[in-house]
Amino acid sequence: MWGWRSSRTVITLTAAAVFVVVCVLPLLFMLWAALAEPRHTVSGIQGLLLDRRQVRLLYNTVLLGCGTAVLATLVGAPLGFGLAKFTLPFKSVLRLALVAPAVLPPYVIALALIYVGGNLASTLGGAIVALTIVFYPLAMLATEVAARQIEPRLEEAAILVATPGRVLRRITWPLVAPSVVSAAMVIFVLAISEFSVPGLLRVRVFTTEVFTAFAALYDFGRATMLAIPLLMVSVVLASVAAARLGSRVVTTRRHARGEPLEVFDQWRSVALALISCAIVTMLIVPVAVLAREALRSVSIVGVVRDSREAVINSLFLAFWGATVVTMLAVCLGYARARAPVKVGVTVDALWLILFTVPSTVIGIGLIGVWNRPTAFGLYGTSAMLVLGYLARFVPIGGLAMAATIRSVPESHEEAAAVAGARWARTMTRIVLPQIRIGVLAVWAISFMLAFGEVGTSILVAPPGESTLPIRVYTLTANAPPGQVAALALFQSIVIFVPLTLLGMAMATREAS
Amino acid sequence: MQEYQRRSGVRVNVVYDTEETKSTGLANRLLAEKPRPQADVFWSNEPVRTVVLKSRGVLAAYQSPAAQGIASTFKDPDGYWTGFSARLRVIVYNTTKVKPEEAPRSIFDLADPRWKGQVAIADPRFGSTSFHVAALYAEVGDERADDYFRKLKANEVKIVDGNSVVRDMVARGDVAVGLTDTDDVNVAIEAKQPVAMMLPDRDGIGVPVMPNMVSLVAGAPHQDEGKRLIDYLLSAEVERKLAESEAVQIPLHADVPGPKNIPPISSFKAMTLDYAKAAARVEDVTKRLATILGL
Repeated sequence: MWGWRSSRTVITLTAAAVFVVVCVLPLLFMLWAALAEPRHTVSGIQGLLLDRRQVRLLYNTVLLGCGTAVLATLVGAPLGFGLAKFTLPFKSVLRLALVAPAVLPPYVIALALIYVGGNLASTLGGAIVALTIVFYPLAMLATEVAARQIEPRLEEAAILVATPGRVLRRITWPLVAPSVVSAAMVIFVLAISEFSVPGLLRVRVFTTEVFTAFAALYDFGRATMLAIPLLMVSVVLASVAAARLGSRVVTTRRHARGEPLEVFDQWRSVALALISCAIVTMLIVPVAVLAREALRSVSIVGVVRDSREAVINSLFLAFWGATVVTMLAVCLGYARARAPVKVGVTVDALWLILFTVPSTVIGIGLIGVWNRPTAFGLYGTSAMLVLGYLARFVPIGGLAMAATIRSVPESHEEAAAVAGARWARTMTRIVLPQIRIGVLAVWAISFMLAFGEVGTSILVAPPGESTLPIRVYTLTANAPPGQVAALALFQSIVIFVPLTLLGMAMATREAS
Repeated sequence: MQEYQRRSGVRVNVVYDTEETKSTGLANRLLAEKPRPQADVFWSNEPVRTVVLKSRGVLAAYQSPAAQGIASTFKDPDGYWTGFSARLRVIVYNTTKVKPEEAPRSIFDLADPRWKGQVAIADPRFGSTSFHVAALYAEVGDERADDYFRKLKANEVKIVDGNSVVRDMVARGDVAVGLTDTDDVNVAIEAKQPVAMMLPDRDGIGVPVMPNMVSLVAGAPHQDEGKRLIDYLLSAEVERKLAESEAVQIPLHADVPGPKNIPPISSFKAMTLDYAKAAARVEDVTKRLATILGL
């Protein structure tokens, strides 16, 4: 079915070509432009990257990544274990509430932290806490998926001769550990590539240094070169994560294997208390703080009304961005899922690396690639915002989609082929129905990420148009804090809608 | 802009910028678009970015007839930019913590141990603060300026995300004094918050004056429309509107009445500035301050 003339080959190659043009070319353009500068000789680059300041930045960056990865894992892993192993009331609602902070724009969490902690928030510790709130759901979901995939008989047999604590240490933990560690590595990569939180909290890391090179020095070459250490750290960690996790770098499909065990049931109350505490701390407190600030001085209705055009624009663009991201992710994810192991691991690493590239580098790269007469007249139109979303989020969509498609046995496709079905028919009648929740999840995640995107959007937004995140960021400069909080809160509410729909769909599927 | 569109019939598509501490914004976009310019006019609310863009060949010369009433100090001799409607860099203080007669009268007073831990400034690598510190280095020399910032650092100055944050911190009483812009202070005064402003160094090196700057983009796709918009922006009518607005911009046309709460430029000594010279120092000063202040 992989012949040159097969529809499978044509569709996946077309998707791959679009991926290269939209996601890879802007980065290559920036690297080429930076390396073409005469000052960027080998010794010049060494001097730029290895002076004391940069070494210090690298130290801070690694500390931020490690601190976030460790804390997010310490918070997320027990929660994931609790969701997997206990019968809890309204479990789908609890899971939804626990996942919610992951889809809030990180700067919204940082903003809430500033309102609560004042100057204390503006430290490396504050940045770690803010990023932990954003990223712990990844550790939680990875742990839950891994814990649910454990063969129940192993724990049942062990509990006959051991205490629950010993079963946890000797049976459960060794089986979930690879997923937990790999999720921690992914969190590390995401934390070191995040700009808005360290930027807002004034923590000096590589992303803020790249930003300074752009915003204070207008030096594209220096900014691109300073992104290289980030990419290198990502290469190393993404490779380790991909190798350790094998086919599960990102897993979106949970495997239900019967009723939760009663092995750990004596800890049920503790788990429920922990989950409740996490929901209050990680979700209710930040949202309540924003609401308090918003209601203090302004009418939310008035703020939303003034931003109506930006909201409609954001919803429209995020819808199309998410739709195209999902279409590409299905095609690319399928190709990756059916690729040989070594190719697959390499592609996973490439996707994680691309996701690490600072948004400003992507934005300037997109201008360089698309602002030319031969570029179909797309530059200066809203299509540039959609291209920005594709450049930023197709890699993470591809990762998630590949993980979902790997759960569909190849034998299903082979059986369909033996029965005479063409590949397109096999995809639409066999594969897609089995991964429809995964497709929905990728769409919802892409929508939420696109709806909150600022760094690239602000550089490629067409004249006369704005999106809600751009408006929120613009107002943050001079508007009263209440108005900023109101907009941030409204943005959060809009993002929660698709998340809730996704949660309801997953709950329905779980119930059936 | 809406008024201009109504009168001229020309539709103006505006790309707004955020404060520089939050996005890489318009200057980078114009630089990236230089091989194939998309914009016609660049309007900046401070001098640094305009002068940087001039030095990178992004701007074109245009001497607007509407700028005849504006002093030559505020115009590029080569016509690459024209200043209008200025703001001032001022000291803002909390009136419940500091009596007017005790408020610092010079930015150099902020390094006095009396204000230890009680001073906030915006990140001096960005925005109007970057202009202010570059102007200071150009005015007093590297040695004295370096020494001043070392003393500020020893005085535990709080470096925050923007001038509005400085204002809010002072209004809340988190710190007693700060350095910010006139428009930021005015927002707090209008909101009846306990703040007042002091024009610094009006008897010494002078008060830093920051005009808006408007320029034509080199290779602009709509040159004529761009020039017409520049003529409009430089008119006395626009200066009057900006003076009456919440931004309380000080008119540079002599015959336009100034905003309330802000004294006219003729009533105090303004810092004698070569804007190009000050802006040319920004990169070097940015690197110096990154080291001195640990940014």
